[in-house]
Amino acid sequence: MTTLSEREFGFDSLKMLLVVGILTLVGNTIGYGISPMAAAPGMLLIVAIGLVSLFLGRHLSLELPSFAYAMVIAFLLSLPYSPVQETVLSLTEPVSFLATTTPILAYAGLSIALQVTRMKEVSWKLVIVAVVVFFGTFFGSAIISQIMLSAQGVI
Amino acid sequence: MSSSSDTSRWGPIQTNGRWKIHAKTHLTVLAIVVIAESIGTISFPLGPGKLVLLPMLFAVGFGLLVSYSVLGKHIPPLQQFVSKDVSRLSSPLLIISLMPLGVKYGTLVGPSFQQLIDAGFAFVFQELGNLGTIFLALPLALLLGLKREAIGSAVSIAREPTLGVITDKYGIESPEGRGVLGTYLTGTVLGTVFFGLLGGYATVTGLHPLALSMACGMGSASMMTACSASLAKAVPASVATDEKILSFAATSNLLTGITGLYIVLFVGLPLINKLYAYLAPLLGREQ
Repeated sequence: MTTLSEREFGFDSLKMLLVVGILTLVGNTIGYGISPMAAAPGMLLIVAIGLVSLFLGRHLSLELPSFAYAMVIAFLLSLPYSPVQETVLSLTEPVSFLATTTPILAYAGLSIALQVTRMKEVSWKLVIVAVVVFFGTFFGSAIISQIMLSAQGVI
Repeated sequence: MSSSSDTSRWGPIQTNGRWKIHAKTHLTVLAIVVIAESIGTISFPLGPGKLVLLPMLFAVGFGLLVSYSVLGKHIPPLQQFVSKDVSRLSSPLLIISLMPLGVKYGTLVGPSFQQLIDAGFAFVFQELGNLGTIFLALPLALLLGLKREAIGSAVSIAREPTLGVITDKYGIESPEGRGVLGTYLTGTVLGTVFFGLLGGYATVTGLHPLALSMACGMGSASMMTACSASLAKAVPASVATDEKILSFAATSNLLTGITGLYIVLFVGLPLINKLYAYLAPLLGREQ
């Protein structure tokens, strides 16, 4: 497989974003009863932001994933100080949050298959340690957050 | 980014002359989405808490199940359709399909900006809470008889930045490298399901939903999403709204994305090495 030229990368990722957009609209209709026509304009905005974010992820040397850029761009557009806040929020509102997660995890499940064989080489001891790492990180973080949030009077 | 890693990452999305693989992949995902969303969210009480099963958990399960290395291995016609190339194309598609989610998170965070600023210090300090793993997992790793593998496996939740740091410092073939790869792979394969179940259930600890939602941000985007979405389902809106829970988790995840690498490099690794030097003689087993 050859390296994608900038042009190919742009067109191919645009096509993929549109495919993902359609899949999300299907899930949005089945799972949350929102008509595809109502959500399509918001999805087009999402595709546009997504394309910019993929390019930023490819070219900026901040070592941040494209996901982070998509979040930051949408965040800036929907700040209370943003002149387009209303528009952005009303466009994206019909795209259900949960509907965007299902295609991600479907692709994730399919791609995890590539790691399953490698997983067999990982000793059971490392798997146990990993699970304890998950617990330790989660509750370490939750306990500090709890203390800090109460100290600041947020909760 | 070097051009070789770029080729392997983005190469598969090429559409030119590859429409068959694309059709197989996206149709498979379409079928999974339709089935997962038709099942919908299932939640049921379990002991003192509530387990929440979201469509995304069914999706990751079905995706793995129908893949070439699980059911496909035993059902040749299935493997022909959901082939290894389908799995290869799915890896870059995972990055692309995160875009709508990233935008949705951004639109949740923007309007609640003021609340996040009010909680500013908590966000900064909870990054250190991520180091909690070291005190819990390192002693266990040593008791299990692991040596330098313990360093790599227990230093952090090991998403891509940590994998990079350890590989860079010790090499992927080193014991530390094997350790970090173990945690990384376990997280990749089990992480979403694990945090999807934990996120909803963790409310039984009595910790505040906002503290839990910040904790949901410690790992990958998929882990954070599964964790915070289940948490939002489990918590009544009178205690904390969905928007608030999701935006706290997303902000914490973004900060971890920015600071995680440096915390591992400058705090986590020196700390775990010191602790290892101290604990290994006490807890470690002789050869």
